[in-house]
Amino acid sequence: MDPAGSAVSHPVAQLLLDGIFTGSSYALIAAGLVLILGVVKVVNLSHGAFFTLGAYTAFVLSARGVDSPAAAALLAAVIAFAFGVFLGKSFINPVRSHPFSVAVGSLGFAILFEQAAQMLWGPHPVSLTLGPPLASAGGLVLRRWGVVSFGVSVALLGGLSLLLSSRLGLPLKLIAEEEEIAGSVGMDVEKIRYLTFAAASSAAAVAGALLAPATAITPTMGRAPLLLSLIVVIASGMETVRATFLLAVGLGLLSNLSAYFISPGWSYGTLLAGICILLVLRPSGLAASMGRRDY
Amino acid sequence: MNELLRAEGIEKSFGATRVLRGITLSVGRGERVGLLGPNGAGKTMLANILSGLTPPDRGRILFDGREITRMPMDARFRAGLARTFQIPGPYPSLTVLDSVRVAMLAGRPGRSAERGGERLEEDLEAVLVRTGLFGQRYWPAAKLSQGCLRRLEFARAISCRPRLILLDEIFSALSVKDEGDLSGLLRSLHGEDGISFLLISHNPLILEQMCDRVVAIEDGRVAWEGKPADLPEVLPWAAGHGHAS
Amino acid sequence: MSAPRKPGSPPYRAATGVLALGAGLLLFLPLAGLDRFFLDILTVGFLLAAFAGSWDIVGGLAGQVSLGHALFFGIATYACALLTSLAGWPFPAAAAAALLLCAGAGAAVGALAARLTGPFVALFTLALGELAHEAVLGQTFFSPRGGYSWGGEGGIPVALPWRDLSPWASYYGALAFLLLSTGLMLRIARSERGLFWAAISGSELTARASGVDVSRYKTEAFLIGGLLAGAAGVGFAAHVGRATAADLSLELSFQAATFAAIGGRGTVAGPVAAALLLHVLFQGSGLGPAARVLLYASALLLVLRFFPSGIAGTLRERARARRMGGGGTP
Repeated sequence: MDPAGSAVSHPVAQLLLDGIFTGSSYALIAAGLVLILGVVKVVNLSHGAFFTLGAYTAFVLSARGVDSPAAAALLAAVIAFAFGVFLGKSFINPVRSHPFSVAVGSLGFAILFEQAAQMLWGPHPVSLTLGPPLASAGGLVLRRWGVVSFGVSVALLGGLSLLLSSRLGLPLKLIAEEEEIAGSVGMDVEKIRYLTFAAASSAAAVAGALLAPATAITPTMGRAPLLLSLIVVIASGMETVRATFLLAVGLGLLSNLSAYFISPGWSYGTLLAGICILLVLRPSGLAASMGRRDY
Repeated sequence: MNELLRAEGIEKSFGATRVLRGITLSVGRGERVGLLGPNGAGKTMLANILSGLTPPDRGRILFDGREITRMPMDARFRAGLARTFQIPGPYPSLTVLDSVRVAMLAGRPGRSAERGGERLEEDLEAVLVRTGLFGQRYWPAAKLSQGCLRRLEFARAISCRPRLILLDEIFSALSVKDEGDLSGLLRSLHGEDGISFLLISHNPLILEQMCDRVVAIEDGRVAWEGKPADLPEVLPWAAGHGHAS
Repeated sequence: MSAPRKPGSPPYRAATGVLALGAGLLLFLPLAGLDRFFLDILTVGFLLAAFAGSWDIVGGLAGQVSLGHALFFGIATYACALLTSLAGWPFPAAAAAALLLCAGAGAAVGALAARLTGPFVALFTLALGELAHEAVLGQTFFSPRGGYSWGGEGGIPVALPWRDLSPWASYYGALAFLLLSTGLMLRIARSERGLFWAAISGSELTARASGVDVSRYKTEAFLIGGLLAGAAGVGFAAHVGRATAADLSLELSFQAATFAAIGGRGTVAGPVAAALLLHVLFQGSGLGPAARVLLYASALLLVLRFFPSGIAGTLRERARARRMGGGGTP
């Protein structure tokens, strides 16, 4: 993450501002992973690959002279949705009940995607232009990517929150909490599962497309947001969209700050250490939302 | 009668829900105690606490005069306190023989000289014959019917000659033959081997036939305790429930 | 120690037979006039196969899906490199220290992971492995003599007691190590401990209710698996003469899980054979590293989708189902 741009007089303030913008997009990714865990009931390690997919989509578009975040986000969403339907329908749904297959298979898909990206665009980071500042005050610079990614993420998360509390979201809640009932009232549970998977994947791709100007685009860039989302999943589970948002923004800030104060490599390391510590301290994880067993 | 198991003032809550509100109960040596209660009364939670799967919030448990409140489930099994699960969780890839062998090897520490020897094979065979699983001994557990899975739970629980078995709803959803076989087995375990048991069920008819004493719990408290024959008069709901099922 | 599992053992007997045949073949293969290139591929293949087998102890036999098994391999190579090149220890002492370190790391990871279940074991091991990878990537420094840049992606050299070992010696050394470790692993699989691991892998709850001290046996699985992975790492350090960041990579951990998925989890011989065959096939065909990983991942996804118990395992299950007339109730 480029924390500061060029000559800025308050690097830490700028860092915090940009951290909130990126954190809001991370929240979008995390919310998708939480939704997949609730409805599809798997821990999906391929989620970060869709973020990467979104970022490369924005890169390819801008290399062809299309410099529009809206176009990039839309195209990324469509491609990721198609991929998501394919992966959800042909792989995740059939192997859902095999934890080994889900873990290794979804990681396998992520690695497949990373290698494909490396073959197509090379292992070295590529980047987009950051764009001119929209406004600057007191040494703080506001750029287009930040405004757009924050706005879109908050809007999508708000929409998700509304959906889950409305009648339209009822099937999702029912599958998450009372699976047998959902099946018995004639819902096409399998279809709702892969559509949820695809929609969540597509949200991750949108986040990738929106954050593309502010990050170094590499084949493995999806690993950090994946881990961040996993921390959110373990720490807060299926509570509320708001909890997901606040936690993701907090973690995004933490990882940006550790990148700034320690070294850039540490932003990923901080998240990794976070996940280890969390699992050691909370070994039961989110047993509650992973399906109960009636002992 | 001498007490084998004693639980005193067991309390357990989940968040604001108080599942068990101070339960005291005991099982004597060679005694058959029935634990009766409607669904959601906390029967299975009590079995989990007695067997060491879940720690209680308050209260203590004594087994054969020794405090075992903090003892983990595997150690309780080795100490002679076995349990069966309402929903059996078999080892899908292991054969019936190996599934019982696990319990026999793990449950009898200090008998290493006999492990793997003739004696163990004989004991294994005896347990399988007794539970009616000898014919299926080479089957993987994943292929067993519901009735056979219950028998396997039983075989596992009795493999190390426990002093007390906690039996959680072992008779629910069984065929008439399976039910008859298992209750016969239970009688012989009590009569010949002197094993005590705590039989958990929501069905008073079964407890009337099988037990010396019945403890009824409701809303996490002991509601009644007495002879099974007095059940229908004392607990009309239980009688109604029993006849309905 | 070894508990008799008479009728359960045909797969093991078959595996031992195939293993003996393969070993005989590999023993005489170099005499057929293999060039140095192929000898080298096979040598690395033997070490990788032992590594895949050690994954199977943890992920297959004990059922604790690890996505960070490269941690133990990398700890061993880096311990060899740092102790010989920086501390000036002789290689055998460094190798012994590396093995001790791996056993300790295995016990520690196992004790922490023993309290976790299901996907959380995978997440925890993945995060630990990546953390170690990040840590070595971030450390670069100048070598004590000559001022070369060490650390980072390029890694650290291992000071070996020999110069340019004969490829034959490496080949037979690695082959002997593979046969020895596979035999040992098969023996553990058939022992009482292996039976307890199978029970834990099948149902942790039932195993606990059967008197099995689950945490202890899980920890032991990580200890033994980590130690054997470390032994493969020591062999690799001795053969290649360098510890690099790739030794700790997620890709290497993932490869081990892939070999196990393809060869059949929990069979030991299956993952070992799959690792050897696939490595020789893909390396021998001269594909680039990216294309190889691409092929591994695609093969993995297809196998997981259509052969959930691995190719050998699924075929065996089908054969058993046929023998039993489709199973069902008695």
